[in-house]
Amino acid sequence: MTHFLVTRILSAMLAILGVICLVFLLIHLIPGDPVEVMLGESAQPTDKESLRHALGLNLPLHQQWWIYFKGLLHLDLGTSLFSGRAIVDLLIERIPATLYLSLVSLIVAIGLALPLGLVAAVRQHTPLDYGAMGFALFGMSIPNFWMGPLLILVGALWLGWFPVSGQEGWNSVVLPALTLGTAMAAILARMIRSSVLEVLGEDFMRTARAKGLSSTRAVLHHALPNALLPILTLLGLQLGGLLGGAVITETVFAWPGLGLLMIEAIQQRDYPVVQAAVLCISVTYIMVNLLTDLLYAWLDPRIQFTTD
Amino acid sequence: MVIGLFSLVGCSESLPDYTLRFGLANAPTNLDPRYATDATSARLNRLLYSRLVDFGEGTIPIPALATWRELSPTHYQFDLQEPRPLFHNGAQLSAYDVKATYDSILNPDTASPHRGILQIIARIDTPTENTVDFFLKQPDALFPGYLVIGILPANLIANGHPFHDHPMGSGPFQFLERPDDTRLIIERRADGQRVEFVRIPDPTVRTLKLLANEIHLVQNDLPPELVTYLSAHEGITLQQRQGANFAYLGFNQLDPVVGQELVRKAIAHAIDREHIIQFVLKGRARVAQALFPPEHWAGPASLPGYTYDPAEAKRLLKEAGFDHDHRPTITYKTSTDPFRLRLATIIQYQLDQVGIDVLIQSHDWGTFYGDIKSGRFQMYSLAWVGVKSPDIFRYAFHSDATPPVGANRGHYADALADRLMTQAEQTLNTQEQQTLYRTLQARLLDTLPYVPLWFEDHYALVSTTFTGYQLSADGNFDGLNQVRWLGSPSAPPKHITRLYP
Repeated sequence: MTHFLVTRILSAMLAILGVICLVFLLIHLIPGDPVEVMLGESAQPTDKESLRHALGLNLPLHQQWWIYFKGLLHLDLGTSLFSGRAIVDLLIERIPATLYLSLVSLIVAIGLALPLGLVAAVRQHTPLDYGAMGFALFGMSIPNFWMGPLLILVGALWLGWFPVSGQEGWNSVVLPALTLGTAMAAILARMIRSSVLEVLGEDFMRTARAKGLSSTRAVLHHALPNALLPILTLLGLQLGGLLGGAVITETVFAWPGLGLLMIEAIQQRDYPVVQAAVLCISVTYIMVNLLTDLLYAWLDPRIQFTTD
Repeated sequence: MVIGLFSLVGCSESLPDYTLRFGLANAPTNLDPRYATDATSARLNRLLYSRLVDFGEGTIPIPALATWRELSPTHYQFDLQEPRPLFHNGAQLSAYDVKATYDSILNPDTASPHRGILQIIARIDTPTENTVDFFLKQPDALFPGYLVIGILPANLIANGHPFHDHPMGSGPFQFLERPDDTRLIIERRADGQRVEFVRIPDPTVRTLKLLANEIHLVQNDLPPELVTYLSAHEGITLQQRQGANFAYLGFNQLDPVVGQELVRKAIAHAIDREHIIQFVLKGRARVAQALFPPEHWAGPASLPGYTYDPAEAKRLLKEAGFDHDHRPTITYKTSTDPFRLRLATIIQYQLDQVGIDVLIQSHDWGTFYGDIKSGRFQMYSLAWVGVKSPDIFRYAFHSDATPPVGANRGHYADALADRLMTQAEQTLNTQEQQTLYRTLQARLLDTLPYVPLWFEDHYALVSTTFTGYQLSADGNFDGLNQVRWLGSPSAPPKHITRLYP
């Protein structure tokens, strides 16, 4: 187990190092000059040169990378070119909102997908199955930029139950979480259905039924735990994506999360913020996948034996 | 964990009922006036800071904090008016604060984007705590109009105070709180009226929030049909004023097609601006013939302009060597904003009718603007926003002002225009200066580095739970100085139930 853990953590650290290099290089390769962004078009060439010098942008690339890397080790991600605020502060402001929205969306997704997927699998080829899978198809087909305003219209304007957008009270998370959650639930429900169907045909399920277990008990206690592994992989990927900032949903709902921060920074060409946001999202994705791997090994001991 | 997060981020502190919530398309990026360049920051900073000079009727510089005298062409003396305002920390604003602010901007280490235009200042003296002397490197009759930057306290500048995060000015409003990057709360010093600025990027969501009375004021940045839709509802009032933001088509003069004056004139005659204004902009604009509108002191009272005349456009194209079998093809760059794209499509159709093929290329704002600044375009549409001083002519049209020196992005070069700019800058007689700038604008209209399109109106949609808001001529937020709460805004306006039965 220790060997498995160490290997996984080391490979995750290697991936993070790769991401740091890639993000740094990409930001330096894309067209645009941070100095011009800061000083504007009317700046004198001498002013531009002195600012370039002050920011260390005149140094060779490897030296700039080393300074950037040392800064990262001290959690110094630089400052925003536009607001002048420390990027770490900006991220600290935004990450809780994204985390909160992601977790609530995940709960919504699981809450919808689990019963739908199970019912569809157990009642295969019945109207219940078709209904559940129809819902899944519906959920996958509706883009978030359409679903969001539709939910606002119904939930906020017609019913008046929720705020239209923003983070304004406990119930403001409901509409964005439903927007994200239904789309995720659709994919998840299909995965649960196919995984459970696969397990339902296994010998141990026949044994479970033969020893007198009720159908519900057999499904919940034997089929579902054994069908969990592929579902967990999908959940890990989805959570990683969510934590990376649900850009469209955060924009529609003016949700002050990481996705909205990144979009604003891209629009303004605020390079250090884009760099930090991409890095943050990548690291989050890697960490969530690492956790999924570890959870995988914990749920299915055969995996760590294979690795060993 | 979820419950913990719930309590951490889910429940924000509720503001008093009388708080006016102002929906913005873009959040202010910097509350330090030395660095702020975007329109939202500039408008907000006007509320938080006072400035030496402002602009009055006809966009003429008028005293704000100070009156001034021109002691010599290179020496301006500013006397602070009594009573001098107090900064939000209680200290009284003095000439030393003025000097410290402008010295800070002029210091290259500050890296202020406003340094460029202010580099004309050679020295600043403060003979008394009420008097500031500005000595210039060379005469510039437009100089007082450059001193519109908010004044910061000298001691806080020296201490490196983070004004961008915690603004400290002497304006009518003081900063209260910035709960996150999308919200900002300020308070009117006179009576405690609070205003919360909320960033809502999506125009449809901004509209829905106004309908639900979750915000009380929206100003500009909405598609015309949404403005019409909102203005038809009780509970919301529409205010509208003529604006001075100049929309135009720009051309690359080095291009073999649009570099020809005849082709540009054909384009000017091919675009039916009146109908675009009437049907697409819903009448919320007026046709422009020059960069400044007639009410600006340097704006031309009337210019002949280019009427919609497809026959004349075809004739000009033929004269330029193009016909049915040999149609010019022009690439038209614009942003991905759906409304701008719609305008581009209409212009594409109208130019097609006279025999010009147009390929539209739309890019996200950063890429689009980057391309324009670097001269990577054949034709593009853009607007000059908030331009008040005629020094813009040198910046945008002088043959020496091609990037990176200036914003003559299309490489326009005209000896007569250059001469008129220089003469206008050198003369100290206002009347003569006005005549020269008007002649210059007639020349620009004749040679068409830009095809002028229109000046879009400013508008504000205000919830009837608030009164007293007056939309200003240049779209700033000064109307918040008079706004008052009328009653309980907690219940959504009645019209919503009728709207969506």
